[in-house]
Order: sequence, then structure tokens, then C-alpha cells
Amino acid sequence: MAASVAATLNRLATRKGVHGVVILNRQGMAIRSTLPADLTRQYAHLLNALVVQARNTVRDLDSDGQNELTFMRIRTKKHEIMVAPNHDYLLIVVQNPQEQFQP
Amino acid sequence: MDRRKEELEKKRQKLAELRKAREDRRRSQQKSMSTPADETQSNMTMPSMTSSSARNDVDKLVNDLIGGRRSQHSATQSVSSNVSDTDGSDMGSVLSPTQTSTVSVSAEPRTRFIPEFSSVEAVIFDFPPKERVVYSKEAQTTGEFFDRPDPEVLEQEVRTRLAAEREKDRLAKQAAEEEERRRKHAQEAAQIRELSEDEKKNILTSDEFADFVDYSTKVIERALNEKYDFMKDYTVVQDEENDAEASNTVKLACTFHSEKLCQNRSVTDVNWSLKHPELLVSSYNKNPMAINEPDGLVLVWNTHLVERPEFVFHSQADVLTARFSDFHANLVIGSTYSGQILLWDTRAKSLPVLRTPLSAVGHTHPVYAMSMVGTQNAHNLISVSTDGLMCSWQLDMLAQPLETLELTHATHSGTDEVAVTCFGFPGNETTTFWVGTEEGNVYQANRYDRAGSKAGIYQQDAYNAHRGAVTGLHFHPLFGPIDFSDLFITSSVDWTVKLWRAKSAAKPASAPQTIAPIYSFEDAGDYVYDVAWSPSHPAMFASVDGTGHFNLWNLNVDTEVPVVSVAPGSGRALNKVSWEKEGRKAAVGSVDGYVHVYDIGEMSNPRMDEWTQFQKTVSEMMHSKETAEPVPEPRSPATSSSYSMLR
Repeated sequence: MAASVAATLNRLATRKGVHGVVILNRQGMAIRSTLPADLTRQYAHLLNALVVQARNTVRDLDSDGQNELTFMRIRTKKHEIMVAPNHDYLLIVVQNPQEQFQP
Repeated sequence: MDRRKEELEKKRQKLAELRKAREDRRRSQQKSMSTPADETQSNMTMPSMTSSSARNDVDKLVNDLIGGRRSQHSATQSVSSNVSDTDGSDMGSVLSPTQTSTVSVSAEPRTRFIPEFSSVEAVIFDFPPKERVVYSKEAQTTGEFFDRPDPEVLEQEVRTRLAAEREKDRLAKQAAEEEERRRKHAQEAAQIRELSEDEKKNILTSDEFADFVDYSTKVIERALNEKYDFMKDYTVVQDEENDAEASNTVKLACTFHSEKLCQNRSVTDVNWSLKHPELLVSSYNKNPMAINEPDGLVLVWNTHLVERPEFVFHSQADVLTARFSDFHANLVIGSTYSGQILLWDTRAKSLPVLRTPLSAVGHTHPVYAMSMVGTQNAHNLISVSTDGLMCSWQLDMLAQPLETLELTHATHSGTDEVAVTCFGFPGNETTTFWVGTEEGNVYQANRYDRAGSKAGIYQQDAYNAHRGAVTGLHFHPLFGPIDFSDLFITSSVDWTVKLWRAKSAAKPASAPQTIAPIYSFEDAGDYVYDVAWSPSHPAMFASVDGTGHFNLWNLNVDTEVPVVSVAPGSGRALNKVSWEKEGRKAAVGSVDGYVHVYDIGEMSNPRMDEWTQFQKTVSEMMHSKETAEPVPEPRSPATSSSYSMLR
């Protein structure tokens, strides 16, 4: 099981345009990362906080309070951050879309 | 000066006189005291005489004393006062003290004024005074209104001061918070560092973590695969892309292959989803090198996720055909070499949710062809195995077929049962179908008894089609202004593709009758493995052959050679071809386990006159067929009987 997980993540990380892949647990602790340690720590803190905030926002916006954040995509001038959260974990992928769209 | 001296002299004299007079008066008083009787009389008369003379003297003296210059003036004044007195005016009452004395003196000679009264009529008008309306007016306002300018300034000041203070407080607080946060972060960082290798390993090996990675990476990969950059800036000058050559070529859109799953396997079928145009299902035969892996494999691919399949389905036997259910987006149906029909559900795991029994009730021979007929509310799955058994199934009840039919033909070599390799229903038809067989004939068959004919193959009609096994049979799909649904094409291992016009389904011939094809396309240099009409262009069909070529024919343009012929991948043989429902893409499966998806582009959009032109083309073909030799010589009838469907 672990081998296939590793293979999947490796494939994702080696894709054209992908700068880094980070996986956090619910507490914002990095489980796996392809980024340098300090950068990983930074991403872990800041993005975890942002995801918590986004999760709360999405939930509070819903009339029933039943809505859930499923995917978050932050497009910036320099790159794009994609976050796929579930109940227990958080997958963060940083990519440069310009690189990807270049033929 | 002399006058003055004279005056002084006079005054002295007068003074002397006065003194003398006073002396006299005293003496006379003394005298009167002595004689009171006389005195009363003398008092009555004398004072008036003496006082008047004395007063005159005093007056003169005073006047002189007050001013010599005014002496004359005073004299005239006294005269005038007298005159005024005679006038009787009351003005005389306002007089200087000097005059009073004169008045009082001259009162004696004043004549009495006697008023004359007369009656006068008088009218008295009483005019009320013009009233001046005066009122005090006040506006009710708060005192602040008038006091405002000043306090406002004050307030502003206070406010700014307060704001400044607050800001300061806030900054301080923020700094404190920042500090706190930093500390917390530091703590958290410390905590993260605390996540030990063991813990990591535990998480990494847990099932739920694997599920999470599987799902989330899928989502991310789909997002990454988005070909369109929604942030594209069209104001930026881009390099002009040359679209000119794109109009008449097909483009390889993507290739689906999984090194781990598809190694040493061949693609046995490809089929697009009707519900989700980006999904396609491909089936594979067994991998002889991997004994532990399941023999059969069905993968669902997404054109937006090329790296790996969306779903992986397993089977115990080689899967020969696979298709999405036309009416359920979640269901995938597969037929196997063992004769089982399997049903997978994308909501379930990789094992089939339903399967037909491996017994004489169903198929016991390989099932190479399946088709769905009917409508959303009433549909069946029709499957035919190589022992000539046709079964129809209900998708939610695969335990036993709804009906079975033996497809037999008297002239079949060896056994009566025909070995069906493919079959097809004309558009809108659910009972009559045409089957392609292993020995190269095409027969018409009916599911039910009809007036004058029994269910099964029409014995008299024979489409003496190919010199080798028929590998594909496809009816013209029903669309556009003209109905070509009686046309069908077949492909065969005899290197040809043939175009047919189906005989009327209504009445079978009473005498043996051989039907010849309208046209034979003999461009291929190898087995032709599959053929399929385009669902959008009436004159277009695709074929794949053993040389690994994907050929696109447009009969309106050329009937001799395909308009496009490309060889994707390694150039190994291509097994199957399938059109996406809009006709804009076509997928081909290769014997080395690759599925290639081609973008057909502009060619898939027919012009409006393509239908009439195709009608013309077909009639020309039929005309030339009648005039030419009826059955063209096959170029290579080489290995018809020894051909095995499983390569």
C-alpha cells in the first residue's frame, strides 16, 4: 500500500510545472513533503491556518452549516497552490501554470 | 477811569445813604414801639410805602452791583416783563430770579383778564393708534446646534487622540499577539518536528491515508490536466499558431496506458461513456507473465486524467468486450472469454457487483459481441457467444437470461450453430439484427417469431461477405436529414472493409439468395480488425488494421483510399475503434495495451450537403456494382479458418 502511495506522489511531484507536494495531517503537521524543511514548515503553518479559515467560512456560509471544503485553488502571479483537504489530511501541490501550459 | 471813579463815588454815597436809612428805620421802630396805637395804622400804610421804596432801592443796588454793563439791559427787561404780563400769557412764569422780583413787584399794576366763553361744537374722532404687531420669535433648537462649531473641533480632536491611543493599544496588542503567535508557531514547529518517523510510517501505511492520497491526487491531477488556462491574457500578443494544417488532419489527444496494469496485455475493446463524454472504458485480456494478477481487466479512463485510470475493475477471465451502460452512468458491462457477463459499478470496488452464472443457462463460450437495445425504461442487453447462442438480459438480474435463441444455419460448416464474432442492430431496431461469423458470412436474424418466419437466422438470405472471419459489423447510425440506417459496413481478416445495404427486414426470401456488397474497400494491407461509422458525419467511418493504422474514410471525398491514415504508438496492430458520441474524438486500442485518443477536429463537422452527396455517392456505387463484376476477387484469402480471435 505504501509503495503505491509513494509512486503516486512521486508521479505527481515529477510532473511538469509542479514545484512541490506537501501532505499534512489534521493538526498541520507535515507527513510528507518534497519541499525543503523550512519551506515545508512555512507552508504547513500558513496553509493549514488558511484551510481552517476557509473550512469555517464555507461551513458558516451554508444555511445548514453542512457544507464542506473539498478543493481550494489559489492562483497567484508567481504560481498556483492547490489544496485538496479531506477530514484527516491535506494535500498541497504548488505548481507554476505557465510552465505547464508551455508546449 | 474817571467814570469808574465817579461810579465808585456814587456807590459810596449810596452806601452812606443806606446806612443813614437803616439808622432812620431803627429809630422809627423804636419810636413805634413806644406808640403801638399809631403803629398799627402806620404799619398798615407805611410798610407798603417804605418797603416799596426800600425795595426799589435794593433792586437798584443789586442791579448796579451785578454789573454796570447790564443795568440798561435789566431795565429793558423789566419793561418787557411788564409788557408780557399785559399779554396775559403764562409764559411769564418762567423767569429768571431777578425777574420774579420784578414780577412780584409789577403784579400790582396788572389788569385782570376776563375770559369770554362761547359754545363750540366739536366732533371728537377717536382714532385708535395704528397697532404695531410685535412678537418675539424663537426657533426650537438644541443648544448644540449653535454651539457646534466649537465642540466639533474639540470632539474631532478628542477622537483623533482617542484613535491614536487605540491604534497604539492595538499595535501593542498586535505585537503581543504576533509574539504569541510566533511563540505558538515555534511550539508548533517543535511539535511538527516531534512527529516521529514511526508515526509517519504509521500514517503512511494506513488504509485511510492511501484512500486520501488516491482521491486527492486524482482531483489535483485532473486540475493539472486542464488544457485551458483560465487566467490567459488575450491582450498579450501570442505566437500565431498555425491552424491551417489542423483542418485536414487528426491530432493525437492523449494516450492511456498503465505500465503496471497493462503490461503484456492487449486492448480487446474500447467504448465511450454516453453520460460523461470524457470517460471511456477499455478492456484487456490476460497478462501471461503475471500469474497472480487477475486475468481480465477493465479500466475506466478520463481524458482529463491521463496518468492513471479513474477506476480499475477485475475479472477472472479475459474480458473481450466492455461498455458503459447506455442508460446508467455508473454501470460498466463486460463479457468474458469464459462466457460470463459481468457488471461493475463505479460506486463499488473493483470486483463485479453482478455476474451471470457459468452454466448451461447462459453462455458457455466466449462472448465477442454485446449490444444494448431499447429505451431508458425498457432495455435489454443482448449478447451472442461463438456457439451461436443469443441471450438477452436484464441488467439488474443477471442470474438468468430473459430469453435465449440458438442461431443455427443448415449450411454452416461442421456444426449447425454459427460462430458469431460480431453483430449489429440497425438504428431504432430491437428485434432484427445481422451477425458476422467466423467463416466470413453475414446473416440476418430475428429475435422473435414473425408472420411467415421463425425466430433465428433467415436461412435463405446469405450475405456472402468475406473470405475470412468478420471482425466488425456496424450499422449506419440514425441521425441527420436522410436515413441511411439500412447501410452497414463490415471488416474482416480478408483485408477488406465492405459496405452493404441490408435487405428489407420484413419478408425473408423463399429461395436461397446471395446478397452482394455495395462496395469493397481494399486499401488495407493486413487484417482489418474493426470498423465504425462516425456519429456526426454521414459519409465518414473509421477502421483499424493489423499494420497499426487508424484510417479515416470520407466516402464523399474518396472511396479508394482513406482521407487520413495514421499509425500511433509503436505501430503494433490496432484492435478496436470507438467514436465519442459527438464524433469529435475516436479512441483506438492496440495489441500492446495502449489506448490512443484522436481529436478528429474540423473533419467531424459535416457540411449541410453531405447527406445528399452521400446519397449520390451510394447510388453511384450501386450503379457501378451492377455494371461491374458482381463479386470482386479477394486479394488475399489467406488464413480464414485458422484465424483465432484471441491473439
